[in-house]
Amino acid sequence: MTSRFLALHLPHFATDRIRRAERGLSPDWPLAVWAAQGSRRLLAAVDAAAGAAGLRPGQPLADAQAMLPALLLRQSDLIGEAQALAELALWARRYTPLAAADPPDGLLLDVTGCAHLHGGEAPLLEEAMGRLRHAGIAARGAIAGAAATAGALARARSDNPIAVSGTEAAVAGPLPVGLALRLPPAMLQSLASLGLHQVHALAGLPRGPLARRFGQDLLDRLDAVVGRRPSPIQPALPPPELSAAREMVEPIVTRSGIDAVLDRLLDELCDRLRTAGVGVRQLTLLAWRVDGAVQEVAIGTGQPMREAAHLRRLFATRLERLEPGLGFERMALEARATQPMTAGMQPGLAIGSRTEEADAELALAQLLDRLGQRLRVRRVAPRASHWLDHAVAALDPQTCPPPMPEGWAAPAWPVLRLRRPQPLEVAAALPDAMPALLHWGGRTHRLRRLEGPLRLEAEWWRAQPGQARRDYYRVELDSGLRLWLCRAEGRWTLHGHLP
Amino acid sequence: MRPADSTASAAFDQAAMLAALRARVVRLEGSGRAAAGRLDIPGLPGGGLARAALHEVLAAAPGCGAAFAAVLLGRCGGTVLWIAGAADSLQAWPPGLAGCGLDPADLILVRAERPQDALWAMEEALRCPAVAGAVLVLADNLPLTATRRLQLAAEAGRALGLLLRPGMLTAEPSAALTRWRVAPLPAVESPRWHLELLRAKGGAPDGPWTLAWQAATRQLRIEEAPAAHRATR
Repeated sequence: MTSRFLALHLPHFATDRIRRAERGLSPDWPLAVWAAQGSRRLLAAVDAAAGAAGLRPGQPLADAQAMLPALLLRQSDLIGEAQALAELALWARRYTPLAAADPPDGLLLDVTGCAHLHGGEAPLLEEAMGRLRHAGIAARGAIAGAAATAGALARARSDNPIAVSGTEAAVAGPLPVGLALRLPPAMLQSLASLGLHQVHALAGLPRGPLARRFGQDLLDRLDAVVGRRPSPIQPALPPPELSAAREMVEPIVTRSGIDAVLDRLLDELCDRLRTAGVGVRQLTLLAWRVDGAVQEVAIGTGQPMREAAHLRRLFATRLERLEPGLGFERMALEARATQPMTAGMQPGLAIGSRTEEADAELALAQLLDRLGQRLRVRRVAPRASHWLDHAVAALDPQTCPPPMPEGWAAPAWPVLRLRRPQPLEVAAALPDAMPALLHWGGRTHRLRRLEGPLRLEAEWWRAQPGQARRDYYRVELDSGLRLWLCRAEGRWTLHGHLP
Repeated sequence: MRPADSTASAAFDQAAMLAALRARVVRLEGSGRAAAGRLDIPGLPGGGLARAALHEVLAAAPGCGAAFAAVLLGRCGGTVLWIAGAADSLQAWPPGLAGCGLDPADLILVRAERPQDALWAMEEALRCPAVAGAVLVLADNLPLTATRRLQLAAEAGRALGLLLRPGMLTAEPSAALTRWRVAPLPAVESPRWHLELLRAKGGAPDGPWTLAWQAATRQLRIEEAPAAHRATR
């Protein structure tokens, strides 16, 4: 299948973005964006009204204000613009999973095999531009067989052309070099001085001398635009492995409406997962708001899953984060990561009597998913380390823990440890002698027994330098309490409780 | 089978009818518990604890309570959830618990920021058919409704549910099947505890016993039984 690309050029994106954010600005007032270049303040972008009054990007700010005293000015925000364009690329994923931002002011969509869903290429182009226009963003578009050609057509022609695949060279030929190839001004001037104004003039020249004079970059751009060189796009998000989507006739606002749509999407997606023989690990619900914003809710599972009821329960708490505003007009469910359902998940297929065990395993995985959404859940990974702080590592609860090293477990260890060791005051008959009294918890306790010390040296290969060695003592108080004390650098601390 | 069917036979067998009714009452009272059966714990007075039920442990010291819970949960033979509140300054220390017979491979630690989250987690865990045991470590008393909810959740699953609470608290009514109190005793190598059965549903309070945990054989041993038991022996 030949590739088809839809390019959208947003000629006034910088000012349109400001108008969208500041609703109070009347569309009749001319608006421009300025940026500081060294000590000079220059216009960076102008809207249609300001352009009609003769203002151009690159003009000094003072000149512009003199020409048009009513001009509204805003400082340019390149990061904000890039973010807004990236968000727009996410919005464009409603047409194809392969949508990319084309900075500074364009979008590129790989619509191969997607156009028929919207009634053909012309209606698709019309709908995309219509929605942008409705959202207050001026747009021009084009569809062609190569991404760079489509981009050049959208920028250089105002009639939103659709070019048949294979005719890239012919349609790109008459385009002006500056807009089609997006060349830096200096190179553009020297090309103009040679009389090279259009793409076909450049394409007819011998390649060697052209590359020597203007660099390989020019040839690369030229080849991409005339379709001699493929120009891949970088999608805003990697395409999902499986997805299901639903367009709403009426925007939905209520939670019950969202739940109903999610139910249908989940059923549809789970059917597809079953057909593909895989389970989902990461699932994202995308909701397109009427005003063009796209919201995401993501869940993850510890084991590959394809049970709609379980996934629905995981979404239940997260859906509160969606802000419908004026309503969602489209919702999609995307499986960002899937895994084949392993033999371990369904041993019942192999051996009939083991289904109960498989059910239990699945139930545990689902329980851990649910708990993990709200609480901190972890398994214990024993580590071979004599230094007690390193003996236990936290592990994802869905993984299998490593085996216990020799001597790791001992009845002499404490069963409970303090998150933060508590300093203690002790009293001894002689300095440095064993303590006889212990002051802890606002009371003084007499020591009935004391065992120790168990002297542990810090692990030099892991510890921070200056880590002091520790002496551990097992202590029994006259109240019967059995404690695990530590003495390091002459200070006593309570580290845990003994069984 | 309805009791009426059995009475339809010629002989009016009152004993058989009573037995059928009793069986029915048992089924109504705790369907899951009857199916899940008992967990045998050699060395524990009474020989074991009912599965699919909630048991309360009041600990005079935090260490002995955790160790006693670990001994009980270690016999469950399956996944064990240890649910603790974040407000608690103590955290379970798996090497020590493993010394009390709880295999770290079976252990899943859950930390809840709020008490209601901990209760929710405990309820979910008890309902799950794949969980063999769960312990909820609490610092406060629980209202009767909460323990009733936990008990019902336990009956829906097959897990041994433990509520571990400080022993200083005044014993409030609870829906748990049994209530034990454990206190530490002087010990040299293996831990020793003073154990009392304070309350048992359908039984009488019992004890006190002196128990010792033998790490080498991974078994509990009764060192000293109450006088009444010795007299009957």
